[in-house]
Amino acid sequence: MTNLSAVEGMIFNVQHYCIHDGPGIRTTVFMKGCPLRCLWCQNPESHSMCHQIFFTAEKCAGCGKCIPACPIGAIHIQDGKAVTNRNLCQSCGVCTTVCLHEARNMMGTRVSAGEVFNKIEQDKIFYEESGGGATLSGGEPLFQSEFAASVLSLCKKAGIHTALETSGYARWDILQLVLPYVDLLLFDLKHMDPSEHQKCTGVSNELIKDNVIRIYHQQKKPVIIRIPVIPGYNDSLENIEATAEFVACKLGASVPVNLLPFHRLGESKNERMGVQGLLFNSIPPSEQHLKELKEIFVSHGLTVQIGG
Amino acid sequence: MNERVKKLKQRLYVHKYPLCIEKFRLITKSLEKTEGDPEILRRAKTLANVLDNITVFIEDDELIVGNVASKPMGLEIDHDYGTWSQEEIDALKEEGYTISPEDEEELKTLNHYYKGKSLVSRMGEILFDNERLWPFVQSGMVLPPWKSKGEGSGGGYAQGGMGLGPGLYLMGIDFAKILNDGLYKIIEEAEEELQRVKYIDADSVKKTYFLKSVLITHKAIIRFADRFADLAAEMEQRETNAVRKQELERIAETCRRVPAKPARTFYEAMQSFWFIFLMITPSPTAAAGRFDQYMYPFYKKDIAEGRATDEDVLELLECLRIKDMQLNRVSGKLNRQKNSGMAKWHNWTIGGVTTEGEDATNELSYLILEAAKDCPTPHHTITVRVHEKTSDDFMLKALEVVKAGVGMPAFIGDKSYINFFVNNGVDLRDARDYIVTGCLDANLPGKSRTASIAMFIVPLVLEITFHNGVEPRSGRQIGLKTGALEDFQTFDDLLEAFKSQLAYFMELNAERDNIELIANQELLPDPVRSSFMVDAIKEGKALLDRTMPFENGAVMNPVGMINVADSLAAIKKLVFEEKTVTMKQLQEALSANWSGEEFEEIRKMCLEAPKYGNDDDYADLIAGDLYKFWAETTATFATALGGKHLPTAISITAHGPGGEMTGATPDGRYAGEVLADGTMSPMRGMDSGGPTAIIKSAVKIDQDPYQATLLNMKFHPSALESREDLLKLSSLIKTYFKFSGKHIQFNIVDRATLLDAQAHPEKHRDLVVRVAGYSAYFIQLGRAVQEEIIGRAEHDLQGVAN
Repeated sequence: MTNLSAVEGMIFNVQHYCIHDGPGIRTTVFMKGCPLRCLWCQNPESHSMCHQIFFTAEKCAGCGKCIPACPIGAIHIQDGKAVTNRNLCQSCGVCTTVCLHEARNMMGTRVSAGEVFNKIEQDKIFYEESGGGATLSGGEPLFQSEFAASVLSLCKKAGIHTALETSGYARWDILQLVLPYVDLLLFDLKHMDPSEHQKCTGVSNELIKDNVIRIYHQQKKPVIIRIPVIPGYNDSLENIEATAEFVACKLGASVPVNLLPFHRLGESKNERMGVQGLLFNSIPPSEQHLKELKEIFVSHGLTVQIGG
Repeated sequence: MNERVKKLKQRLYVHKYPLCIEKFRLITKSLEKTEGDPEILRRAKTLANVLDNITVFIEDDELIVGNVASKPMGLEIDHDYGTWSQEEIDALKEEGYTISPEDEEELKTLNHYYKGKSLVSRMGEILFDNERLWPFVQSGMVLPPWKSKGEGSGGGYAQGGMGLGPGLYLMGIDFAKILNDGLYKIIEEAEEELQRVKYIDADSVKKTYFLKSVLITHKAIIRFADRFADLAAEMEQRETNAVRKQELERIAETCRRVPAKPARTFYEAMQSFWFIFLMITPSPTAAAGRFDQYMYPFYKKDIAEGRATDEDVLELLECLRIKDMQLNRVSGKLNRQKNSGMAKWHNWTIGGVTTEGEDATNELSYLILEAAKDCPTPHHTITVRVHEKTSDDFMLKALEVVKAGVGMPAFIGDKSYINFFVNNGVDLRDARDYIVTGCLDANLPGKSRTASIAMFIVPLVLEITFHNGVEPRSGRQIGLKTGALEDFQTFDDLLEAFKSQLAYFMELNAERDNIELIANQELLPDPVRSSFMVDAIKEGKALLDRTMPFENGAVMNPVGMINVADSLAAIKKLVFEEKTVTMKQLQEALSANWSGEEFEEIRKMCLEAPKYGNDDDYADLIAGDLYKFWAETTATFATALGGKHLPTAISITAHGPGGEMTGATPDGRYAGEVLADGTMSPMRGMDSGGPTAIIKSAVKIDQDPYQATLLNMKFHPSALESREDLLKLSSLIKTYFKFSGKHIQFNIVDRATLLDAQAHPEKHRDLVVRVAGYSAYFIQLGRAVQEEIIGRAEHDLQGVAN
């Protein structure tokens, strides 16, 4: 038997007191690596499985301390700020250790399942009082399925409720590795039309739709459907109507639906990684529009809330 | 808010606050006339002179009457803690206060009478010549620093309130008894007791003076109420509006009855309460106690007999909030820094358990919260007692008020508060009846009072330890010689030295406290508040002349303890474990206030060392050990009132001026920078694990021995949007209290703060915002995201602003 605690994975954050990622007070583990490239992605640092340097220009004093520190000379001063040539940068992270102004941070840590579990377990007293637990998010947690299964399994052994936030884009045998340790799935449905889904996320949605049906009906796992509402991309009345019909008919009217309105958090993150974001233009939806979309779900007999 | 309350509230916004000298004049005239009388009798006559002669008025629309000063929105000069110099008056005039030229002139003459007679000069008389104590009080280690013999404690006060003072006591009187019995009952008891006194010892003579002073003051209070009855009757005659005519008639009847006789209705009880509250003010810390408990029988009876509706009760509760807003307060410059703005802590305690241990929450508890939400004035404040059985409904109601952004209520845990009393020998039933006085300190209504509350700046002691007992900025040896820095071979050596210094200065402070207590006892006895304490008439003593059933006369309050804990953690790690920095280098870096490249690097290492507030035992256990040491050491010092000193831990705003006096500290803090706020809160920006990690750190500190502790948290409105969000916050609070946390309060960050954070990110390192369930430090977000959040906050707050 493998030692679960020793299994390693890449994460970029462990966030405590998460109140919108499942029931009760939760600790959410953000895992790196994702097969999708959603245009609106709010966590672009999750895409790659590798370490990345996060640079906050506003904080850089231009002192130049990082220039000699960089082993390959990838940093130079430009307009009073220490700029990294991203083509040369190998994300070794030495510059982050010498920066006195917190302008340089390393995104991504290699950790063992045991270490992650210890962080989750720290807040056990809060789960007990609030009915909360741990949520794996990302990125796509199924991208590191063995690591995800190990963390979740350790939680289950300790009596901690588990949730998995997923795009659902994974082979069934991968899902089967993880599902036994999952109490609740927060399952994204981003678009009903396969070609539109392909355009918005880089992958088609057939596998995703099949998976959610199998998870809910065959495996009898509780599911909450989460729909990011991205004006101009997936918020048309037709698509929302189709989504509602899918949830009501293919799953069941008792499956709760959360509408997650678009926000702009991802934008500044791209800037900081020196990554050109994908061509994308949207604005947060109006309250009126959200209400209208909510009504569509209600008319299908579904329970829907705005926000997670 | 109905139309009446709106109109009353509107009148609170004045262009300038009038400074009034009428009360001061009446007091001074009376004191001049009564020279030679026993002090307590003089003070009683003084009060009678004020109550019989001060200008009284009833404002339009008022239902609860009783003006707090001789002019609307006025502040009466209060000389208890020192007189007002011309310089101080000039400063006030620049800050939005006004005084007529004649009054300003007369004030100077009146001041003459007090030369050498104030509390401060009495204390200075002892302190000034003392080789140990004078440098100590000058150091500012206990705020504020003394400058010269006659000038300590920051000068005078001006406040609303008709009573005697002095104001800075933490205490709760037995309101239930007064409302239910009326003052005649106390007068009767005092008269009978007076006849029973046998003159066999010194106490019996003192008792006579005390009882006579109670008779003088209580009869004067009844005459004061009568003046309002007369005024209302007279106004009623002239009134043409039929509705107002009826209201005035009711006011006249009510003031004729209470507080002399028992209140029969909720309305009478409210009016009686207000007259009595006027007698326990001027005081920034006057407490209403368990208002929802002793007022409930009146409420219930009125509702049952159809005399009042919830709407009527709500209106009266809101009128009371307005009344409390009229009780303004301003202090001299030095104290203004210590307690900024018109700070006051008129605390209403609600919820909690009954003396039998059952849930005490009732309909009135909800209405008190509703009044704060509907009439969102900063005062009076509300503290919600929380226990295991506090219902979700009540928590939700309280959190809705928090969400409205008025900064209240605060939440406190019955478990740890009750443990504090029981562990100090109080009967469990009495302990369950505790109330909050001042900011958060617990007291037993009628059974205990705290009269000396030292704000002790702990990081100054660390600095002095680093300099072998020398105060670095003055070069004076004011502490012990505990060894030069290079002599410390281990971390424990250093810790031991620090603790010796700390214990030494705490003992000096205990002495200072006793001098303060006795000066208060001798110069400023208050027969009114004394008579509202348990068995007051039988005991026949003023409240500082007796040892109370629970004796907590003096408390000691550590400010900046968390900075010291973080500093020691950094030293332990860097100097003694990793040995990457020497003590000498560290001290040089501190002396240079971290400037210079080498020192900046040391600062970075210090900042990266473990910090309290992250659920990391390394720093948390040091904090726990320091608080334990503080609590145990405090309790070794006797007070002059027959008890021992007790620990409390609330910084209020003392971390501001305390920080100003303190040089750079090894936690990475710059010289002059504000210290950690609260006492259980991490240093700003030093926590990165969010609310649960802070709470996990805070419960590693044994809070039970403390009379109070304070934990502040900031949230963006988006963390309190839905009912589920509020329930989750409620379970966070309950978890903290289950593990013996004492207090938590939430700041809901408004738009102005966010804008300020954009402009001055260095001041808002700890500001966490949530975007769709995702948290981030606000100042780390890009401009566009910040704008979006600012827009959202504005939107969220609009919903409750009206």
